[in-house]
Amino acid sequence: MVGAAALSLEGLVAVDADVARLRRGDTNALSELIARYQNRLYRYLLRIVRQPAEAEDLFQQTWLRVVEKIGSFDASRKFDAWLFTLARNLAIDHLRRVRPRSLDEPLANSRHGETVADRIPSHDDTPLDQALAAERRAELSDAMAELPMMYREVLTLRFEEEMKIEEIAQVTGVPVSTVKSRLRRSLEQLRSALDAPDRGAAWQ
Amino acid sequence: MSEHDTIRELLALAAAGALTPAEEQRVAEHVRSCIACSNELEAWRPIARELRRLPTPQPSSWLVQATLARAEATLAEQAEQDWNRRALIGVVAFSWLLTLASWAVFHEVSERFGSMLAPQFSHPWIGFAFMALEWLAGAAAAVVLAVHQRDERRLA
Repeated sequence: MVGAAALSLEGLVAVDADVARLRRGDTNALSELIARYQNRLYRYLLRIVRQPAEAEDLFQQTWLRVVEKIGSFDASRKFDAWLFTLARNLAIDHLRRVRPRSLDEPLANSRHGETVADRIPSHDDTPLDQALAAERRAELSDAMAELPMMYREVLTLRFEEEMKIEEIAQVTGVPVSTVKSRLRRSLEQLRSALDAPDRGAAWQ
Repeated sequence: MSEHDTIRELLALAAAGALTPAEEQRVAEHVRSCIACSNELEAWRPIARELRRLPTPQPSSWLVQATLARAEATLAEQAEQDWNRRALIGVVAFSWLLTLASWAVFHEVSERFGSMLAPQFSHPWIGFAFMALEWLAGAAAAVVLAVHQRDERRLA
């Protein structure tokens, strides 16, 4: 526990140092920040827009925005919260422009994430357990992709990014009470979707 | 709303680890004595667990390299613009300094030679006008260059 806290603190210090170097125009710092956040940022964008090509475009735009705005970054804030806020604003602008209804309504979509599922080492024991777990995750991923954007976002920030409720409120720009209510509703909708008869038996 | 109903609404958030310590305590106490809520909480746990274990989609190395290249180009462009801005400020400041410094020289020269050419020559006013013209020319150049830079940035 102490070791994990120390590692986390070490990571924060490294990020602060990279941010300070990036302010001075150091391209190595930029490279290190991209390497550090590339998976998290891409996953977040993909959860929001659901289409890999759009997520890739937004990924590039977000880092360009970071470079443009790093001078105005408030060093008292957490860099990842600021980064996700920039990405969120770009993603929402994009959705408003490209698919105005997608902010509120689910969109029929193919499975996302499953193409890389095989790359992720599984913690399940037997081959049968692994197969069931993979099926459960595929169903979960599908059910999540069918939720409205605000619900997908709060789920990925809480469970995948492991952000605290206060941090999610900071990124999304809404009160803590709204984050909690969105999180509860998103989980309820997700569970309803998983309980639907047309879903496989992996969750039954 | 009864305590049972209130707690029921908190169970999904409890599984998500999104409750305050006081709420957690309240849920824990209720769940110890309420089998229905205890079962409901257990039903939420696998969803929360699997959400944490969803596969992480990864950006391609091509995307990362392309992003880095574009961002580095933007950084270089910004650095050049900053340098140009600083150089412009420096040049304008230097020209104004020269103008101020030249005042003493002009005063001395005009006093010596102006009075020889025409005794009624009012050299302080001529010097002042000359200096004002230089200042105006410097300011106009700064404005023109700043507008030009802004247009360049807009086009980029």
